[in-house]
Amino acid sequence: MTAFKRQSFAGLPAGSGGAVPALLLVGLFFIVPVVALLLRSVTDPEPGLQNYAALFGSGTYVRVFLNTFLVAAVVTAVTILVAFPVAWMLAIMPPAIGSIVFGIIILSMWTNLLTRTYAWMVLLQRTGVINRALMGLGIIHEPLPLINNLAGVTIGMVYIMLPFMILPLVGTLRAIDPMTLRAAALCGAGPFQAFRRILLPLSLPGIAAGGLMVFVMSLGYFVTPALLGGTSNMMLAEMIAQTVQSLLNWGLGSAAAFVLLVVTMALYAIQLRLVGAGRPGGGL
Amino acid sequence: MKLILTGILAGLLAATAAHADEMAFTSWGGTTQEAQTKSWAAPFEASSGIKVLQDGPTDYGKLKAMVDAKNVTWDVVDVEMDFAIKAAKDGLLEPIDFAVVPKADLDPRFSNDHAVGSFYYSFVLAWNKGSVSGEPASWADMFDTKKFPGKRTFYKWSAPGVIEIALLADGVPADKLYPLDLDRAFKKLDTIKSDIVWWGGGAESQQLIASGEAAFGQLWNGRVFALQQDGTDVGVSWNQNLTAADVLVVPKGAKNKDSAMKFLAAATSPTGQAKFAEASGYAPINTKAKAEMPADVVKGLPDAHVDGQINLDMNYWAEHRDEIATRWYAWQTK
Repeated sequence: MTAFKRQSFAGLPAGSGGAVPALLLVGLFFIVPVVALLLRSVTDPEPGLQNYAALFGSGTYVRVFLNTFLVAAVVTAVTILVAFPVAWMLAIMPPAIGSIVFGIIILSMWTNLLTRTYAWMVLLQRTGVINRALMGLGIIHEPLPLINNLAGVTIGMVYIMLPFMILPLVGTLRAIDPMTLRAAALCGAGPFQAFRRILLPLSLPGIAAGGLMVFVMSLGYFVTPALLGGTSNMMLAEMIAQTVQSLLNWGLGSAAAFVLLVVTMALYAIQLRLVGAGRPGGGL
Repeated sequence: MKLILTGILAGLLAATAAHADEMAFTSWGGTTQEAQTKSWAAPFEASSGIKVLQDGPTDYGKLKAMVDAKNVTWDVVDVEMDFAIKAAKDGLLEPIDFAVVPKADLDPRFSNDHAVGSFYYSFVLAWNKGSVSGEPASWADMFDTKKFPGKRTFYKWSAPGVIEIALLADGVPADKLYPLDLDRAFKKLDTIKSDIVWWGGGAESQQLIASGEAAFGQLWNGRVFALQQDGTDVGVSWNQNLTAADVLVVPKGAKNKDSAMKFLAAATSPTGQAKFAEASGYAPINTKAKAEMPADVVKGLPDAHVDGQINLDMNYWAEHRDEIATRWYAWQTK
C-alpha cells in the first residue's frame, strides 16, 4: 500500500492510454448525467432559476439540508473515534493475525446493506433484543429510544462506514516509524502525550482521507436513515426521492441533487487544500 | 469512436424494442405482485399467447421520465388512484379502450376514462391484543394517549388517509371532510406527534404491529388479514374504514397498447378479480367477482363493512396532491 504513495500523478506518464476505458466510463456515466441534471434543474418545468428559489425558499428543504450535514458530521466523528483503536491494533499486530481481523472487517461489507439495516431494526426497537435484555436485567425500566431518531441513524451508519475509515487509517498508521514513539517515550512523554503530539498528527492524513470519504458517503445515504431514523431526521436523499417519485418534480429534485454535489465538491477541494494533493491519505 | 458508440446504443435500443407477442406489467413487488402474476398474468398468457414480463416496483418519477423521453417500456402499470387522475390530466396516460375492456360490471368508484380498478382496500384500525388493554373503537381513540397509551403507527407518505383520520378524530363529520382543513388536521396530529411511528411499506406496518413495537395503527385491511391468517393476535375495527384503490393504467406511448388493453380485460374480469382477492385479501373492483369467491373470503372484504365506510376523495387529492405534500413534509420534518 505504501508503495503506491511514491507514484507521481503529476503530468501524464507514458502508457497512460490504459486509463482511457475508465475515463470513458466516468465521462459517459457520470459527467454526462451530471450535466443533464444541471440542465434539468434550470429548464424543468420552464427555463429559469425558480427551482433553486423554491429550494432555498422552502423551510423544509433548508431543514433537511442542515439535518443531512448534521447526521453526516456526527456519523463521521463517531466513526473516527471507533475506528482509530481498531486501526492502531491492526497496524501493530503480527501480520498473520492482522490479516484475519482484516478479513473479518472486509467480510462485513459483503453482506447486503438492507439485511444489515433490518437486523439493526430488530436489535434497536423498543421491543428489540437490546431493550429487552436491559429491562430483563433491571438496568432500565422504560425502553430506551434507540430507533427512529438520531441515535438509531448514527449506530446503523457508523457500523456500515467503519471499514471505509479503518482501511485508510491502517495504511497511514503502518507507515509511521515506531521509533518516533520510542523517541517520544525516551524524551519523557507519557502515553497520552505521545499520542497527542506524535501519533495523532502523523495519522492526520489517514483520518482526513477516511473522514472525508465517510462524510461524503453519509451525505447521500438513503436506506439506513430511512429505516432507522425518524421523519425529523429525514435526509436529503430520501427527500429527493420523494420529490421525484411521488411529486414528479424532476426540476426541484435535480436542483437539490446538484446543490448537494456542489457542496460535496467544495468540501473535497477544502480537504485537498488542507491535507495536500500530493498525499492522498497514505495508503489510499 | 462516436460512431461506434452510437451504433452500440442503437443496437441496444432495437434489442429492447417491443415484440408483438410480449408486454410488460409493472406493480409494487412483494405479495401483491405475486398474486397479480398468479391470478392475472399466468392465465392471460395461456389464453392469449402474449407473454407478460414482470417489472417493478412502480415508480411515478420513472413513468413520467419514460413518457417525456418517448421511450415507454411499461405497458400496464399498477398505480394509486389519485396519481392516475393527476397523471391523466398531465397527459401521461392512454385512454382505456372500452371496446376491448368490458365496462358494465366495473365498480364506477374505481374506474374512469384513463384507468380501470386493480383492487380496492380500506384503511382500518388494527391493534396488537397483547399490547393494548381494552378495544379502541374509532380513530378518535388513536389520538387518546391517556386511554390508550403506547406508540401508534401511520402511513409515512403524503397520501389520502392520515389527514382524514385526524379530522374524523377531531370531530369533523364524514360528509364534511372535503375540502380538507389542513390546519386543523396538523394541529390534531401535533397532539400525538411524539407517539407516532411511521410505516413506509406494508411489510413494515405488519412488523410494527406484530412485534408490539406499535400498539395500534392505521393499516391496509389486506395486511391485517395476512397477520390474522398467520395467527397473530390482532384486533381490528372497521368503524369509519376508509376506502382507496389501486388502478391499472397504460402510459402514453406504450409500445404494446393493444396487448395491454387485452390484459386489462382479463385482469378486471370477474374470475381474475375473484382469484386475486382470494390470494391477497384486497377487494375486487368487478361487481360480479364476489359470486366466484368462497364465503369466508367475502366476509373479510371491505364490502362487508359498508356501514360507516368512507370513500377517500381521489379527485380532491389529485387536484391538491402537490399542495398537501408540501405541507405534509414540512410538518413531518419539523
